[in-house]
Amino acid sequence: MTAIANPTFRQTLSAMLAETRLRLLNITRYPGQLMMEIIIPIVFAAMPMLLGRATAGADAEANFRANTGTANYVAFLLIGSNAFTIVSNAFWHIAYWLRFEQETGTLEAVYLTPTSRITLVAGVSLYSALRALTTSILAYILGCLVFQVNPLQGDILLAFLFILVGLLPLYGVALLFGALVLKVKESNALVGLMQWGVGFLMGIFFPVVALPPLVRAVALAFPPTWMVNGVRSALLGVGFFFEKWYLDWAVLWAFLLFIPLFSVQVFHRVENGVRRNAGMGEF
Amino acid sequence: MLGQVRVENLTKVYHTRQRKGLFKSTEKAVEALKGVSLEIRPGEVFGLLGPNGAGKTTLIKCLTTLLLPTSGAAWVNGFHLIHDANAIRASVGCMLMGDRGLYWKLTGRENLIFFGALYHLSPTERRRRANEIIDRLNLGEIADRAVETYSSGQKMKLAFAKALINDAPLLILDEPTNTLDLPSARELRAVVRELNRLGKSVIYTTHIMAEAEEMCDRVAIIDRGEVLALGTPDDLKASLDREEVIRFEGVISSRAGQAVQALPGVVRAARSAVNGHTQLAVVVHDQRALLPRLIETLTAHNALVQKIVPEEVTLEDVFIARTGRTLAEDTRVK
Repeated sequence: MTAIANPTFRQTLSAMLAETRLRLLNITRYPGQLMMEIIIPIVFAAMPMLLGRATAGADAEANFRANTGTANYVAFLLIGSNAFTIVSNAFWHIAYWLRFEQETGTLEAVYLTPTSRITLVAGVSLYSALRALTTSILAYILGCLVFQVNPLQGDILLAFLFILVGLLPLYGVALLFGALVLKVKESNALVGLMQWGVGFLMGIFFPVVALPPLVRAVALAFPPTWMVNGVRSALLGVGFFFEKWYLDWAVLWAFLLFIPLFSVQVFHRVENGVRRNAGMGEF
Repeated sequence: MLGQVRVENLTKVYHTRQRKGLFKSTEKAVEALKGVSLEIRPGEVFGLLGPNGAGKTTLIKCLTTLLLPTSGAAWVNGFHLIHDANAIRASVGCMLMGDRGLYWKLTGRENLIFFGALYHLSPTERRRRANEIIDRLNLGEIADRAVETYSSGQKMKLAFAKALINDAPLLILDEPTNTLDLPSARELRAVVRELNRLGKSVIYTTHIMAEAEEMCDRVAIIDRGEVLALGTPDDLKASLDREEVIRFEGVISSRAGQAVQALPGVVRAARSAVNGHTQLAVVVHDQRALLPRLIETLTAHNALVQKIVPEEVTLEDVFIARTGRTLAEDTRVK
């Protein structure tokens, strides 16, 4: 017998990277999908950008600065649309992944192995992060070049710190919805609702302060809202929610420490409930 | 103990919802396993036989930790079903759901290496095992093609290959020859026998009688969640105590017929003419035991036997005798 029931950290890491590699191999067989992920955020941002220019005319930049703290509405909208891609990918890659694998039968196949589900989720999350970051950065740079603004302005390192710390709780939220998808056996409606809901609340095309107070409070309960505002503040100087970057960053750390652990607990409970009844194979 | 499975009074109840119109639905409990107890010995090929919906796959899914049983206990390779689930997963090679457990966009080799990683094999070991299995199952020509280009039979072979990647002491094969053509099915059965000779225990589910008789040391007949009979195929057939008929065709004199009739164990022997030949129909209780004596006696009385047609009791007959139904029936709870 060659398989191992209690793997070491290195073996667990190897299994996680195998899951990431599997996803990367898979996506290389759909090159059109990656191209689309680079083009869509630019088109997505271009629509309000051009509408803004058409309605505000020569005053567009001044009006935008008065309401958001930056005149660079091109970069502001591109950051929003690319962050939306990251959020959207997180929900599709984690929550929809469970449903898709359930339908194709591969979920049961991986459940037959001794690799823990959380290792697999971590592998899928790493894949999602690599894919989303690569396409988002390319789309951001390309978008900036198309609309003739400098993509390398502001504190790029700080922006990355906000993205990196914001991704983990985002995948935690996505796993929570993955558990819900397993429970109700419905993915498209739930994932669609979540990606647009969270996308709206984090302020794809507008500053969150523009939201009504109650809605703004709900928006601040989602990690992507803090992540996007952190990136915009670092690159464009729109202003952190708590004025200091490290306070906003600390909030993301609090999300990071709480949400993934909570999501894993919920996921295990739902998973055991499913195993107690008809199992992962029933879809 | 590795290769051993012990199941004690295992039950499994599902809850399903039955739709009644647009908005109404009622919950229904389905008892898929009703107190199943059995023991699979190390090194044996154990058959689970039953029609669709009998509970075979539910039992297998419980034993592979995919499902939690409602009550009862089981030990697989000496590991407890609930407390040592991960040890069970590591020590069992499974082929369930036919070709559904494969990544179709990946090649066969990529699939095997990926699953090797999930069994925590080292990168070198994964590749070595994948190459070894590809060679053993003659998958070399297709191993580097995307699975989506495979025929159904090739996908089934790859699913079987996946079950071997962790070199487990216990193989669980759920209808492994489904969708395989006859030569491929024969080839797969030969590999299973070879692996069994090398010491692996095998749980083999099928609804094909001949396959169960050929492959299995012992068989459990399952129907509607219960084990109806358990034993070697020969014992199960013998338990029916039914008369069997052997027909001899050729040139057989009446003296030869009388000599056969006089043999102990022969119930009766009747001669008749069929298409210019003589046919001797011999009714016996245990044709396997008696056949050599019958041939010997006929030859001693100068009979020229051109054809022997034994009509044996099959496991299907055992199933029909126990349930009053054939194996072709679908007994799933609707």
